[in-house]
Amino acid sequence: MATPAETTVSLNGPAPQEAIHHRATGRDRVTSVIKHILLIAASVIMIYPLLWLVASSLRPTEVIFRTPGLWLNDLYVENYTKGWYSLSYPFGQYIINSFIVVIGAIAGNLFACTLAAYAFARLKFRLRGLWFAIMLLTLMLPFHVVVVPQYILFNALGFVNTFVPLILPKFLATDAFFVFLMVQFIRGIPRELDEAATIDGCGHWKIFSRVMLPLMGPAIATTAIFTFIWTWSDFFTPLIYLTDPIAYTVPVALRSFLDATAGSNWGAMFAMSVVTLIPLFLVFLFGQRFLVKGIATTGGK
Amino acid sequence: MALNRRQFLVGAGGLAAAATTMGLGACAPGSSGGSGSQGGGGGGGTNLALAFWGNPTRNKNTQAEIDAYMKANPGVTISGQPGEFNTYWDKLATQTAGGNAPDIIQMDMNYISEYGSRGALLDLSKVDVSKFVEGTVDSGKINGKLVGINAGINSALIFANPKVFEKAKMDLPDDKTWTWDQLIEVGAEVASKAGVSFGVASLMGSDALFGTFVRQHGKELFTENGLGFDVAEAQAWYDLMLKGQKAKAFGTPEQASEESSKVLDQSAIVVGTAAMQYYNSNQLEAVSAAAGQQLKMLRGASLAGKATERKTWYKASMLWSASAKTKNPDAAIAWINWFANSPEAANIDLAERGIPPNAEVLAAVKPKLSPAQQTVAKYISDIKSEVATTPIAPPPGGGTIATVLFRHGIDVLFGKTSSADGAQKFVDELKSNLQS
Amino acid sequence: MSAISELSTIHRAKAKTPEEKRLLAKEAGRDNKAGYLFLLPWLIGLVLIIGGPMIASLYLSFTNYSLIQAPKWVGLDNYLRMLSDPRLHKSLAVTFTYVIVGVPLQLIMALAVAMLLNEGMKGLPFYRSVFYLPSMLGSSVAIAVLWRQMFEVDGLVNQVLRKFGIPATNSWIGDPQYALWTIILLHVWTFGSPMVIFLAGLRQIPGMYYEAASVDGASKWAQFRKITLPLLSPIIFFNLVLQIINAFQAFTQAFVVSNGTGGPADSTLFYTLYLYQRGFVQFQMGYASAMAWLLVVIIAVFTAINFYFSKRWVFYGD
Repeated sequence: MATPAETTVSLNGPAPQEAIHHRATGRDRVTSVIKHILLIAASVIMIYPLLWLVASSLRPTEVIFRTPGLWLNDLYVENYTKGWYSLSYPFGQYIINSFIVVIGAIAGNLFACTLAAYAFARLKFRLRGLWFAIMLLTLMLPFHVVVVPQYILFNALGFVNTFVPLILPKFLATDAFFVFLMVQFIRGIPRELDEAATIDGCGHWKIFSRVMLPLMGPAIATTAIFTFIWTWSDFFTPLIYLTDPIAYTVPVALRSFLDATAGSNWGAMFAMSVVTLIPLFLVFLFGQRFLVKGIATTGGK
Repeated sequence: MALNRRQFLVGAGGLAAAATTMGLGACAPGSSGGSGSQGGGGGGGTNLALAFWGNPTRNKNTQAEIDAYMKANPGVTISGQPGEFNTYWDKLATQTAGGNAPDIIQMDMNYISEYGSRGALLDLSKVDVSKFVEGTVDSGKINGKLVGINAGINSALIFANPKVFEKAKMDLPDDKTWTWDQLIEVGAEVASKAGVSFGVASLMGSDALFGTFVRQHGKELFTENGLGFDVAEAQAWYDLMLKGQKAKAFGTPEQASEESSKVLDQSAIVVGTAAMQYYNSNQLEAVSAAAGQQLKMLRGASLAGKATERKTWYKASMLWSASAKTKNPDAAIAWINWFANSPEAANIDLAERGIPPNAEVLAAVKPKLSPAQQTVAKYISDIKSEVATTPIAPPPGGGTIATVLFRHGIDVLFGKTSSADGAQKFVDELKSNLQS
Repeated sequence: MSAISELSTIHRAKAKTPEEKRLLAKEAGRDNKAGYLFLLPWLIGLVLIIGGPMIASLYLSFTNYSLIQAPKWVGLDNYLRMLSDPRLHKSLAVTFTYVIVGVPLQLIMALAVAMLLNEGMKGLPFYRSVFYLPSMLGSSVAIAVLWRQMFEVDGLVNQVLRKFGIPATNSWIGDPQYALWTIILLHVWTFGSPMVIFLAGLRQIPGMYYEAASVDGASKWAQFRKITLPLLSPIIFFNLVLQIINAFQAFTQAFVVSNGTGGPADSTLFYTLYLYQRGFVQFQMGYASAMAWLLVVIIAVFTAINFYFSKRWVFYGD
């Protein structure tokens, strides 16, 4: 078997196709500068709303909607210092709740979706096509009509006002999105590697854990990151299941700053929104590393 | 395929992780206490769940009220479930569907018949309403049964922005004698002289002011049998809106459309682009605070030019109801009774929910109210001679009248449909909503 | 391209000894048990958490269910009423427009940016995070408020247009003609999720293919067509299928931007938004369930079409 060396693509080094033709011509440099300028301009457009959010979080509520633009005259930090304490509990409580739910959800998704994806992608078993179609079907039914029967179910089991309805479904691979995502990734991995392992005497479990999982790095990282972000921002499920304010997650808590009928504390709400963005941003910033570590190889071990 | 050690460990690890997070989840704060309607709960004593929508101020007030009540009534534990108005109803509907509705429910006029006429609300006739101002009890009656206790009086009216009128060098209009046409005239004049977009904003979608309009024409919004008015009245309303638009008193259709989805803090009168705007009396304090100035209250207009004939009424800004399935009906009624009739509750609430309907309680708490709330209290008592009989609560399907009214109206304003056709579609849709 | 074809044939033409062939055959037979064992968590989830509620909702679609009282059987009534419901037809039109315009726009944006960010350059993690940020915020109330403001008559967008000399006097968000486009734009702005997935897929393409192609003198565009697109096709397919499925069910952005109303004169009344209104606001969960199952049929048809045509352009390694 040919064994070309494993090439690990580094995070921001030159991509493979540029490694060969690297001649720093003047034209290359100009192109690079132009590219950077365009990217920076595009970035500003992309994050303008976020900049507005941060700027508004540093203004008192009465001023927010009367002041267009980003320029700040003073920094009104009370939105942060007072906003943290202005709900029934210090905002940290809600952040902790969200973390608990999110970590449970990630563990669940990684555990269950990888298993199911391996089955769908690599194993031939009876009715596989039917189950796959059903799995896709579960993605197609709007959740608003499933919510009430599910609530009745969880209520009968006594799980209302706990985190169970938010976490347990993840351990049972109810996020068909990630199952399908991983199926597509696995199908992109050459079968020869499986066959090589089989010939070496590995059963399915070993193939799954020793061959597949390491190669699915980007898919696993994507799943973890998306689960984090989507679960963190999930509003409706915590809304209906959590009745005790001490258990509220971040999105529900953020809504509590608002009152459609009387004045809302927009300043504090924006401030806390910015605060809760930070974990999301950090997760993505550090998670990228795993996202892009592709192992470019054609051989096995 | 026998499980080897590796497989077993990973599988067990996965299960352990699941168990831990679920154990963590099950031990989530509040889960052991749970919502009171699960039963007698805890260790002896009564448990009640109290659901309400609020804001940081009301949340704190309500918790203080709960604490005060629990102190005076040892043996009763109340857990508050605060929420936010728009999403409160999704949660309540889901809880009710699951048989898990909270014991005490803060209720709104647009929803009370949905729940009340379907048997989801407890009969509250045992609550003492003898001291309630006349006309404030009937809002909570559905099919003759009292299922909601008025938690705060309010009335629909128009706020005026004094600074805009100053800029236009105009006096505030005489709201006791103005007709709808005069309202348009004043609106047009102040809008052009002060250079603002709206003379009067948010008029078209106001079901309450539309209600007075309909009643001035001798009809009602709703009757026991369904819709109480017809296409003619709806068309007259849309024609009025078109007239106001043409006179440049009500803003352009785009402005009206944008205004309809603005939040309170962005609304035209707050940011100074409207001279007048439709609001409810209990919102005076909040809107004035957002606007940075004390706004003035103006009565709505009438056909005849007489405030006593404008057929307004005492609304309930919100009501207290109880779940018909509660396991502690007497305890729920006791709490509602306490809130409605004890000065102690009113002293904490300070009219944040609306003016207390119990006249004695109001008199006791009045000195403690903020200046804005005192203005509101005075207004409510001033209009006593002008209020007509309280109309019945919107029947099931009728709670959407404001959005349907506005949606068809916008089509008319944009010129996509005539006022006659728009009125017909509005009435048709409302009728079909009422039927289903 | 000879180096490339050589590499692909290396993949395929590995001779197998009889011994190897026997082991492979043995494995195939064991797949049934293994398959169901691996699938077990998903099957349990299907039965316990999804299946029951799904069947319940199908049942509910034949009933009048107010959520507050028990469901009452009405047979095909809901489905028949859907035929003459003008708001339903409007919501279908709105949703179809959104899917047909919004999905391709967003995916092209996502792929273009992913390709741009796949090449080595300074500040890559920063740019990647910046382009992903909108997706993190996209459904929040805070951004919805700002988005509305930006597209008002005197909002930011019109101000910028006027600076460029374009007479912008209409409202984008307040005019039924244009409101939907602001939401499509919001959807395109949040291209971060498919972009990240494209990135992960791009990174999985072995670099040697590009090296070999460059050695052979292939242009960047030819490399894109002959290497990137085919090897990325499973991921493109995934994004296409799922973005279509998600777009048909788009809810949150329309809900927060239009304040739950469906925008000026129902111009942003997405199908699931109308479904939600019928179910939760108007207490007609039976009708809403019927709407839901109609949507399932529509989405299933589109997905099936996708899968059918996928055989022609999706290239799998196995």
